[in-house]
Amino acid sequence: MATPQDTTQESAPNTGSWRDELEDVGFVRRVLISRLWYGPDWWFVAISAVMVAGFITLAIIPGAFAPYRPDVLVGPRFLAPNARPDLPVLVVGGSSNATQLRDLATLPGGERPSIGVLQGVPTAGALNQEAQSIDEQLKTEPEGLRLRPRIVRFDTLDATLQALQDGKLTAVVVRQLEFEQVAKQFPGLREGSPITGETATAGGFLLGTNEIGQDVFSRLIWGTRIALIIGFSASIVALLLGVPLGLFAGYSSGPIDRLLSLVMDSMYAFPGLILAIAITAVLGPSVLNVIVAIAVLYIPTYYRIVRGQTLAVKEELYVDAARSLGARSMEILRRYIFPNVIPSVAIIFSVNIADAILTGAGLSFLGLGLPPTIADWGIDLARGQRFIQTAWWMITFPGLAIMLVVLAFSMMGEGLTEIFNPKLRER
Amino acid sequence: MNLSPFALIFVVIGAPAFIALVYIFVRGSAGLRRYILTRIVLTLPMVFILASLVFFVMRVLPGDPVSSALGPKGTPEMIQRVRAQLGLNDPMIVQYGRFLRDVVTFNFGNALTGGHRPIVDEMSERFPATLELVIPASILALLIGVYGGAFAAARRKKATDYALRLYSVVIYSLPIFWLGLMLQLLFGVRLHVLPISGRIDAVVGTSLKHVTNIYSIDALISGNWNAFRSAGLHLVLPTVTLGLILSGVFVRLTRINVIETFQSDYIAAARARGIRERVLVYTHALKNAMIPVITLIGLQVAILLAGAVLTETVFSWPGMGSYLVERISGRDYTAVQSVITVFALFVALISLAVDIIYSLVDPRVRY
Repeated sequence: MATPQDTTQESAPNTGSWRDELEDVGFVRRVLISRLWYGPDWWFVAISAVMVAGFITLAIIPGAFAPYRPDVLVGPRFLAPNARPDLPVLVVGGSSNATQLRDLATLPGGERPSIGVLQGVPTAGALNQEAQSIDEQLKTEPEGLRLRPRIVRFDTLDATLQALQDGKLTAVVVRQLEFEQVAKQFPGLREGSPITGETATAGGFLLGTNEIGQDVFSRLIWGTRIALIIGFSASIVALLLGVPLGLFAGYSSGPIDRLLSLVMDSMYAFPGLILAIAITAVLGPSVLNVIVAIAVLYIPTYYRIVRGQTLAVKEELYVDAARSLGARSMEILRRYIFPNVIPSVAIIFSVNIADAILTGAGLSFLGLGLPPTIADWGIDLARGQRFIQTAWWMITFPGLAIMLVVLAFSMMGEGLTEIFNPKLRER
Repeated sequence: MNLSPFALIFVVIGAPAFIALVYIFVRGSAGLRRYILTRIVLTLPMVFILASLVFFVMRVLPGDPVSSALGPKGTPEMIQRVRAQLGLNDPMIVQYGRFLRDVVTFNFGNALTGGHRPIVDEMSERFPATLELVIPASILALLIGVYGGAFAAARRKKATDYALRLYSVVIYSLPIFWLGLMLQLLFGVRLHVLPISGRIDAVVGTSLKHVTNIYSIDALISGNWNAFRSAGLHLVLPTVTLGLILSGVFVRLTRINVIETFQSDYIAAARARGIRERVLVYTHALKNAMIPVITLIGLQVAILLAGAVLTETVFSWPGMGSYLVERISGRDYTAVQSVITVFALFVALISLAVDIIYSLVDPRVRY
């Protein structure tokens, strides 16, 4: 049995033995053993295959990885990555065992809780709103509890907390971070939970929030879906049209071939993004239109490579032999030419997905193509660009995501090219 | 027919090229002459096909340009009037004929929206801006690409090779607009060393005499050093963005070609004669390897222009790309169609030039 150590030596018999071994093992083992042959290129393909698998998983079940849905407003606006939101929090005296606003509810006729707030800050409004909604909810419950706090306003934070310390108030509602700064001066006070019930977001957001308070990380994960949908569908459509056209043109090589080639070459030379801009501008924004526009761009890529290979293979002796034995054109195409074309098509397909994702992102960055409600990296980048001076995280992460996905697919293509292109392989 | 400013630009750029072409044509061999003629004849259908493609995409696909340009304010009578003015009620074939005539005479009519200026005038301001961005970017990309590629090939299967290959793959995967944003963030917002938008400081810009509309050249001509400095500084980030993105492809292409050349007999012969490996790579192999790279430069024009559209948008660079995007947002189909036609013309001319240079460098293709 040949071990990796054996093969690194340059002795011929050993090299021969693991090559022979390739013949009688299964596909998975064969792929693993070929690692010894291809070296770093194999790793290129392997690593990118793992990345691609990961992204596909993300795209299929984004909900399992993203903490929030992409379109919900989950927190304050422009919150930096991992920064804690400054939520209004309930603070009570050390003897009280209340932790939530709801715990302060009393029976009718009992003493109404007095809650201190700072004058002129949003906490007061939040408290009012929250207390009312809790009260509404309590009305429907049988215990008969009600929450009707007496709200006392103060001018400074110190005065508020001092009043609570002195027992003049039942509780206060203040900004969490502000309270934590001065908490040491008021040892008798205890921090409860945020009054708005956003305990889940109290720890902050991994990649921050955007200009309307959506979670950047969740949008990133959900964005995988649309990127891969566009990449795969556009490439498949282009492949389904480009490959048969290329086979046909290469095999027939008549005037139709010349005309088709002229059109395809013109399209190939033209900047794809600009053509896509024109098509989406006319078709209007929708996912389907973006796919159509991008697919049209990449038909020539398949066409050119397939046609070229068909032309080359057509001249091979075995094709002549088959023809002289009476094989029909369809059979020659299917049995002799098509299998020769597949490896190049596989490489192009992989690189093509990468290209299509980039083009799609470019289109949506320009504000074309996708409807603005979709969670898409290009759209997120365009939104973030306006806030480049303040919110670096809004433009950094979506671009990183695009890069990683495109990298996975193009690395796969790059590795496959080296593996499949015998011209470049040294003996 | 009077010559538009835009046609003037083409003439200024095209005249020396044309003289060179005539010279080559007269002095060259019969094979070269035949090749150049064939190539020129083949360029015309390419422009024709692209222009027609644009025309039919704009007409056949659903969506009415006029009603969307006028917006909700457009009454049916207004729409009818504008349609008649633009000749959109004529049969398709008549419109197509008129469109082709406009392309040939460089007269694209007036913009549907925003000031209704002649599109040609607007483009003659925008096109030099794109040139100012695209030319230095290509030079940067070629420098990085050719030396990086040769370097990688010389150290094939070593760490440097894999690092440079990784570079080209990573660069290829970078969304160009994101690279632009990141450079803006680093050099503009964090370090405050480079401007992140526009072509020139507004104050300095007023002192600049516009001759070619390529600001750095205008500043040089008039000896306005302040303006030159400002224009130069504004040029750095967009150029680097576009140049880096392009360089990845060139690294890859040069590397592959140098490796292929390395396997040829004359290199083996040179190596056998004891010529040093470094000389072998940078003089013997690189020269021949550059030949296919030249043709590929022609194809990279596509990447260059697509990249320019995004770069211009990111850096608020008032070139053709941002003009296209503006006009699309304004739903001005006449302008969009004209811009794309000019792009097509540009691509066709560059690939023609590249092919002719190729035939000069590599005599094999002429036959």
